[in-house]
Amino acid sequence: MEILSQVVVYTALLIEVVILVRSIRCKTFAKYSIFYTYLLTVWVTSLFLLIAYTATRSLYALFYWRLQFVTLALGCGVIVEISRHVFARHVSLDRFARWVAIVTFGAIFLVFAIHVAFLPHWKPVANPAELERNLRIAQAIALLTIVFLTGYYRIEIGKNMKGLILGFGVYVGASIISLTLRLFIGIWFSPVWKIIGPFSYTAALLIWMVALWSYEPAPASPPEPMEVDYRRLAGRTRQALGSIQEQLDRTPDR
Amino acid sequence: MIQLVLSLLVGLVLVVSLYFFARRAKPSAEGSAQQLRKAKQTLDSLQFGLLPNDLVERIFAREDLEYVFSSAPPDVQALFLTDRKNIALGWVRRVRAAVLELMRFHRGHARLHARLSFSTEIRLALNFAGLLTACHLLQIAFYLRGPYAAPGMVRTAAAAAGRVCLISENSLAFLSVKGVDPLESGAARHRA
Repeated sequence: MEILSQVVVYTALLIEVVILVRSIRCKTFAKYSIFYTYLLTVWVTSLFLLIAYTATRSLYALFYWRLQFVTLALGCGVIVEISRHVFARHVSLDRFARWVAIVTFGAIFLVFAIHVAFLPHWKPVANPAELERNLRIAQAIALLTIVFLTGYYRIEIGKNMKGLILGFGVYVGASIISLTLRLFIGIWFSPVWKIIGPFSYTAALLIWMVALWSYEPAPASPPEPMEVDYRRLAGRTRQALGSIQEQLDRTPDR
Repeated sequence: MIQLVLSLLVGLVLVVSLYFFARRAKPSAEGSAQQLRKAKQTLDSLQFGLLPNDLVERIFAREDLEYVFSSAPPDVQALFLTDRKNIALGWVRRVRAAVLELMRFHRGHARLHARLSFSTEIRLALNFAGLLTACHLLQIAFYLRGPYAAPGMVRTAAAAAGRVCLISENSLAFLSVKGVDPLESGAARHRA
């Protein structure tokens, strides 16, 4: 199990290098700067933790969660970048997705602050997995909002962005499930958790490598109609729907 | 335990959503000639094939029921009721399909606008959901109690279907012709 875990970690490091090199060769680093910064940070921290693990376990334990939160914070930036690119021509949708993300993260930090302030026995250092799980849930909600809005309004997404969403979603989804099971099952689940994390991250890396192999600009959208058209469209739809609703509401239950 | 279930639920919903997201087909270009033609065909079939008042009254005519029950043997009566029930169910399905078409048109056209009104969009989404639920309830009523169990419902549904056609026509007018007000251009003459 230990050897398999090591192989997965080394493979992940290698794929990260490939993606980063491709980004420089294809000049896409600047286009998805937050994502590549995130990847570079993950690569540096993983390498550091690997060295620390080999040298001294206490150093690894000391830094693991701290570095995990740094990459977690950058991961939130990746979601903002995804939203910005996917809704490049839809200011309102981008604003809505960000609003959902801010509210979710805000709620999680508020709960965290309440715990720290009012529960003297509750120590954040003792519950890093719980905090990570909660932040992953916030990321998942933000991703779900983006996926839902693109599906609802049938917004076309380019190959690069689709890959970013899929890869990140796979990793976040697997993290939530494994962290939750680890918190509830306990120490018995730790060996499985140690495998699921690197495996899901490597799967995400493979998706990113394929999707970001070459730069593909976002699909061209048709020209935006006048604002007055939207108001008329929404107004008429609402008016007509309202009258249908009214009629159906009046239907006697016979 | 609630925390465990909710967390696992979020994770699973994300994974399932991503599966459908990965399989999502490329959306067609809104306002394309093919799409407009298809939409027009759907509307025409609804307006002229299914919704005229006389046809709706014929399908749900109580006189037919009275005639069959007074002069036909029980097996013919049963056959008649089964047939009428199927027709009524099919009719509500068409109303539901029309609402879904309208929903599709609205979303398809609204997405072209950079600045949507989110309160309006949420209200519309709720209205669509409510209307679809109402159609579903009508389907259940027809299924359980037959086409003659709720004559009031039939009239309401007929009126609703006519209005849905009008809305769809308005949406189509937005997609095809700018500056022409379909409400004033005689669209109402097609109403059931």
